[in-house]
Amino acid sequence: MKRFFQQFYLLLIFLFLYAPIFTLMLFSFNADKSRVIWQGFTLDWYVELLHDSTIIDSLYVTLVVAFASALFATIIGTAAALGIHCMGRRAKGVYLTVNSIPMSTSDTIMGVTFMLLFAMLAIDKGYLTLILAHITFSAPYVVLNVMPKLRQLDKNAYEAALDLGATPAQALHKVILPEIMPGIITGAIMAFTLSVDDFVVSYFTAGTTSQPLSVVIYSMTRRRISPKINALSTLLFLAVLILLIVINFRQSRDGRNKKHQPLKGVEN
Amino acid sequence: MKKYLAYPYGVWMAVFIVAPILLVVFYAFTGKSGALTLDNFTNMAAYASIFGRSFLLAFIATVVCLLLGYPLAYIMSRQPPRWQSFYMMLIMLPMWMNFLLRTYAWMSILENNGFINQFLQNIGFIDLLNSVLQPETPIRYLPLINTGGAVVLGMVYNFLPFMVLPIYNVLIKIDVKIIEAAQDLGAPSQAVFRKVIFPLSMPGVISGITMVFVPAVSTFVISKTLGGGKEMLIGDLIDLQFMGNAYNPQLGSAIALVMMALVFLCMLVMNRFDDGSGEEGGLLL
Amino acid sequence: MEKCLIELKGIEKEFDGEQVLKGISLSIRNREFVTLLGPSGCGKTTTLRIIGGFETPTRGDVLFEGSRLNEIPPYKREINTVFQRYALFPHLDVSENIAFGLRIRKVKEAEIQKKVREMLELVGLRGFEKREVTSLSGGQQQRVAIARALVMQPRVLLLDEPLGALDLKLRKDMQLELKKIQQSTGITFIYVTHDQEEALTMSDTVVVMNHGAIQQIGSPTDIYNEPVNAFVADFIGESNIIDGVMLRDELVRFCGQDFECVDRGFGENAPVDVVIRPEDIKLVFPGDARLQGVVESIVFKGVHYEMMIRTERFTFMVHSTLAEPVGKLVGLAVVPFDIHIMHKTEAAQ
Repeated sequence: MKRFFQQFYLLLIFLFLYAPIFTLMLFSFNADKSRVIWQGFTLDWYVELLHDSTIIDSLYVTLVVAFASALFATIIGTAAALGIHCMGRRAKGVYLTVNSIPMSTSDTIMGVTFMLLFAMLAIDKGYLTLILAHITFSAPYVVLNVMPKLRQLDKNAYEAALDLGATPAQALHKVILPEIMPGIITGAIMAFTLSVDDFVVSYFTAGTTSQPLSVVIYSMTRRRISPKINALSTLLFLAVLILLIVINFRQSRDGRNKKHQPLKGVEN
Repeated sequence: MKKYLAYPYGVWMAVFIVAPILLVVFYAFTGKSGALTLDNFTNMAAYASIFGRSFLLAFIATVVCLLLGYPLAYIMSRQPPRWQSFYMMLIMLPMWMNFLLRTYAWMSILENNGFINQFLQNIGFIDLLNSVLQPETPIRYLPLINTGGAVVLGMVYNFLPFMVLPIYNVLIKIDVKIIEAAQDLGAPSQAVFRKVIFPLSMPGVISGITMVFVPAVSTFVISKTLGGGKEMLIGDLIDLQFMGNAYNPQLGSAIALVMMALVFLCMLVMNRFDDGSGEEGGLLL
Repeated sequence: MEKCLIELKGIEKEFDGEQVLKGISLSIRNREFVTLLGPSGCGKTTTLRIIGGFETPTRGDVLFEGSRLNEIPPYKREINTVFQRYALFPHLDVSENIAFGLRIRKVKEAEIQKKVREMLELVGLRGFEKREVTSLSGGQQQRVAIARALVMQPRVLLLDEPLGALDLKLRKDMQLELKKIQQSTGITFIYVTHDQEEALTMSDTVVVMNHGAIQQIGSPTDIYNEPVNAFVADFIGESNIIDGVMLRDELVRFCGQDFECVDRGFGENAPVDVVIRPEDIKLVFPGDARLQGVVESIVFKGVHYEMMIRTERFTFMVHSTLAEPVGKLVGLAVVPFDIHIMHKTEAAQ
């Protein structure tokens, strides 16, 4: 009985979470412009979407910004995590505190601060400002994903590599990086998705041209709303779904390998 | 050994995190002419009602998120491990879809001729209301969109995962042995929850509250799309000063600063409920 | 006398102003099995890490065959280490862990395969080549760590409490095995442990350390039989340590009685520590001994009984194969040879 209520509760919550998304997706196939009255099936909106150069261009901007910022955030964040790991208590505390600011500040505030900064530095809003801002809010997540992996690392692993003749650079490359790679990858994926998903910071830091998708959607929702947006939502949802399934598959495969290991030990 | 690897990021943080915040502080205390002044703050009294409304709506949304999210996190943490990761994915999935699209989806549901009102008309509920209440002009729909309720709904919908995740993360880390020990010491399951599980999950609750309240209090997208933009929130106010017609970054900075201070104060008060035991608490996503 | 391989000269080390090594001087001969023994925090691991190159001494020199080693980084030393928790690389399998150092050295593939096989043979892990190191038991991981270090054919192998994580039975087996490997390879072993029994079982030379200073260097027999101070006596096996006064050569006074002993050169009326091993006290009829006491407790320890016997001024620990009932009055007899006289030291406080 208790179990039934629990399942029922879960069902209600997931209904709440998914009902809007599914109606959105359903009406991307609606033959009429209306987003509430069903008039029959069509794929016209998808065709129109693909011919809408504003949307396609902005998608390109979003992907460029996401790739560039995720790449750079991953590099600088991983290096930072390695450095922070070796620091004394106090320096570590300062770093991690400042590092947590972007995560605990609201997007609106962050967007505004970036806007002021770029205005002061007289950098024109565009790709550069977008990428700089996105690196700043996603790098902390890379740091936070890599740090635990470093903590799990045998504290002597680096020294063991040196002991066996590896130079510091070789030890980093052949021992430390392979060990913390899962954290780096998770961090990179997170940086990428945060960048793709971001609207607020982009809104304050994008110029009038080369706007990312989310900013374009915002201006569309403020004006006439076309079912093209529904079509776009459907495609994005499917993309995210596929991405998540891939990640989940990867994780469960890793998880399975881990579970198998003790068993192998028992065989002999 | 290789501390210097963190130095580039240190410089980065100084330029892109610390400096901009200092810039906001500086702007907040200067006038349009560039002279130091407190006018920005004294002028802000006019917006007291907006502040009040924002904090109220964000507070309600946070409470609703907690009431919905805690049981959800708890039930999830009790499921078999395979299902847990599946449910986890279901919670995350909408969150990874674009924030604007998620909010936009609700518009078609809440509109005056949206799905809910269509449904209410079809089952005769609207007619029923008309016949019972006998208003001067018969109503054709319930006003759902462009209300405070719709804004709260939008906040809950968008930020619920931020509440569930940290609480769930703390709950699954609670050692089963601790629960068994409590049972062994004679605690019935309600007492186990009240005296052991809930206190231990406090760090997750605290970080969940923070992660919902902070974005909720400063949002401007949700109020614009679901609130109709008639009654402004702080986020709209800030947006207006920086991107809108009212362009006045000094005043905008002052508003942002006051909001940050108030949020910080709220968090400080709330953290007193936490005994500080769970330092790494419910971090994060 | 074989020639000296490693020499430490007045090594001092400070961490954040705290002195953890206070002038360590030590020479280690080729093919020697040296154990650094002491309680935790005594500086033994720091000493080992200085030899390995993971720490640089604040003052003093490390010499390797007479040449200064201080600033040479670990990867250029002919010294390898078996770390406390093995520090195996979890992303590599057993054979790749062992091959790691050889690959860094760019040894030919066929050569690597051959050496890895030899090493696995040596440590008794044949057929484990492709296993994940995380799937191995503690003892097996231990063997991989040893093989990984030995395959480098180091002149010196440093072992930092390598058996600490193993259970008692396995530890005993590995002690013998390590000793065997040391003898067959002829590599100098420097071994760190806090387990006195381990130190006595395996070493040629034991270096007892406390509070960052060497207390005594000697063979296991010397250390056990002739501890130089009360700290060593107490740390190596169990001891009764009694305040006493050396009246003159070969006569000591403690517990209100005068006893003959064999030590000389302490001067007259000098306060000293008197050390008597529990197994050196014989229980006799009360009338046959100068000290009498009452049996306060008795515990069976497997091979012997451990009894606490209270005399007028001191409660002695006595090991005996014969049990005496609690409450019985007994005499305690010690022969002069078993009364060890030591200078009072800070460490003994």
